[in-house]
Amino acid sequence: MTNKFRGVMQSPVTPLKNDFSLDLATFEKVLDFHVRTGATAISWPHHKGESLNLTIAERKRFAEAAVKTVAGRIPVTIHVSALAVEDTFALARHAQDIGADGILAITPYFWTPTREAIHDYFVRLCTSIELPVLSYNSPSYLAGVEITGDLMARLIERLPNFVGVKEASFNSEKFLEISRAALKLRPDFALVTGVEFLLPSVPLGGVGSYSAAGSICPNLCRDLFDACVAGEWPRARELQYKVSRLWALFRNQYPSSLKGGMVIMGRPVGPTRPPLPTASAERQAHIRAELEQLGILDTEPHGW
Amino acid sequence: MPAFQPGLVHLPVTPFAPDRSIDFDRLGKLIDFHIRSRADALALPTHAGESVSLTDGEKRALIEFAVKHIAGRVPLIAHVSEAGTAIAAALARHAEAAGAAAIMATTPYYWTPPPEMILEHFVQIGAAVRLPFLVHNAPEDMSGGRVSAELMLKLIGRLDNFAGLVDSSLDWQFMIDLIMEARHARPGFLLISGTDLMVSAAAIGATAMFAPLAGIAPNLLRRLFALCRDDNLFEARAAQEEIASLRQLLKAGGVASLKAALAARGRDCGHPRPPLQALDAGATATLVRELDSIAALRDEPRGW
Repeated sequence: MTNKFRGVMQSPVTPLKNDFSLDLATFEKVLDFHVRTGATAISWPHHKGESLNLTIAERKRFAEAAVKTVAGRIPVTIHVSALAVEDTFALARHAQDIGADGILAITPYFWTPTREAIHDYFVRLCTSIELPVLSYNSPSYLAGVEITGDLMARLIERLPNFVGVKEASFNSEKFLEISRAALKLRPDFALVTGVEFLLPSVPLGGVGSYSAAGSICPNLCRDLFDACVAGEWPRARELQYKVSRLWALFRNQYPSSLKGGMVIMGRPVGPTRPPLPTASAERQAHIRAELEQLGILDTEPHGW
Repeated sequence: MPAFQPGLVHLPVTPFAPDRSIDFDRLGKLIDFHIRSRADALALPTHAGESVSLTDGEKRALIEFAVKHIAGRVPLIAHVSEAGTAIAAALARHAEAAGAAAIMATTPYYWTPPPEMILEHFVQIGAAVRLPFLVHNAPEDMSGGRVSAELMLKLIGRLDNFAGLVDSSLDWQFMIDLIMEARHARPGFLLISGTDLMVSAAAIGATAMFAPLAGIAPNLLRRLFALCRDDNLFEARAAQEEIASLRQLLKAGGVASLKAALAARGRDCGHPRPPLQALDAGATATLVRELDSIAALRDEPRGW
């Protein structure tokens, strides 16, 4: 079976009303927008979807909405990482019950588990469900806790549904060690980065990206991916630099700047839950100026 | 300033005699070996060449010897890193007078000065010469000490002969942030892979490589470099994976492993200087066995 988690996959933001409650109608519009503009899969709620600021009940409710709204047009994976590991297991089971196509799970938060503890965690998670599982490796955000190439190999050998990784070390050596270990054992293992790092990852076996950039500039995302897989490196470089300029804009006060940018693009999705800030009017004006300068307002869709 | 293109740069080790003095006869043979093995340039004495364990007088003698021995066959990049700014600047002036083609320096050893003093450190070293000046970003070597893209852009503004950055951070975000701005601020600014892992760096825009493993696998590195230089990045992956496996084999033992591997390939350059320790007999035997099992090394030269 060819791995279906590849290409420019979108991880939507979570629309909120002004009282910070979930905005279901707008969430459905976001999902439809991504499907219509070429997303190859949906994955929700990533950190940019404010996953950790949602209750477990809210996450279940919107996971159901995502599966229902996308309605099989493209695969939907649910990000199940939670502070308490037991919540993660419940979210994983729920994702399976509602008909999601897979789950995504990071190494445990807060604690600094040993390599054996990380191994045992993924074994327990992957054997608790039948769905495909994508792991999420983010050593720079999680105090050096990481899935090394050796550990990845052990998990692949043990677990038939361990099918990929969102690789967020963004480091040549770490990526290469994982790709060397994983692809030898499972040639269709999905090595996924963010859209801001397609250029350095695709030559080493990267097959796609998760991001929310498609809510701002779906055309640019698609062009970049196409240039990378076609090996058109000079063109890919220019497009990647452009994406990086946008990423520099949005990584500041992430994900509130992203939500601020969506206002400019005619797709408002409301505020960001504390402790994250909401983009101020000044911040939005700055974002507008940058988007204008990059030509995004002329080349990307406006409105829903 | 004429454009300086380092190409594939080999990093000779520093051979020591049994009495721990620099073995200049062997250094001469080693330099000849590297040039015969198609180095485009040589950098010395680098960290792989135990620069930090050489006295000031030895560093000067080594540069003078190397310039005479190379006799114009390839450019010599002199590594002048020091803790004290003035000491490094004096080494740079000496290397220029001796006939080096370029100068390279890291962040200062031991100290952790504020960014404005790191900038001043580089400005003073670079301004001591008219040669192209390269900054080496090597956080793994420097207990985490690293430069930011922002600081390097400031250095471009301050230093006319700041020609490029040698990256050993392997950090995709840093490399992208730097090159997408630096190429406008200084057309021709060089991004140079500071390790044998070039594919991702090349995708981002690196055009040269410092190869510490060139003493072991010069043919494989030449193949990798040629493919990267010609933008054949998918084709470069196989060679890159072979080199990555060699790098992982030698990594833990550092210079001691590198020298043991050189001896195993018939190019005995003695032991490292204290405080580094040579590999013991058991570790050496294991290393030799593992080297012999790497199929890709069968086409690599043995002996001088």
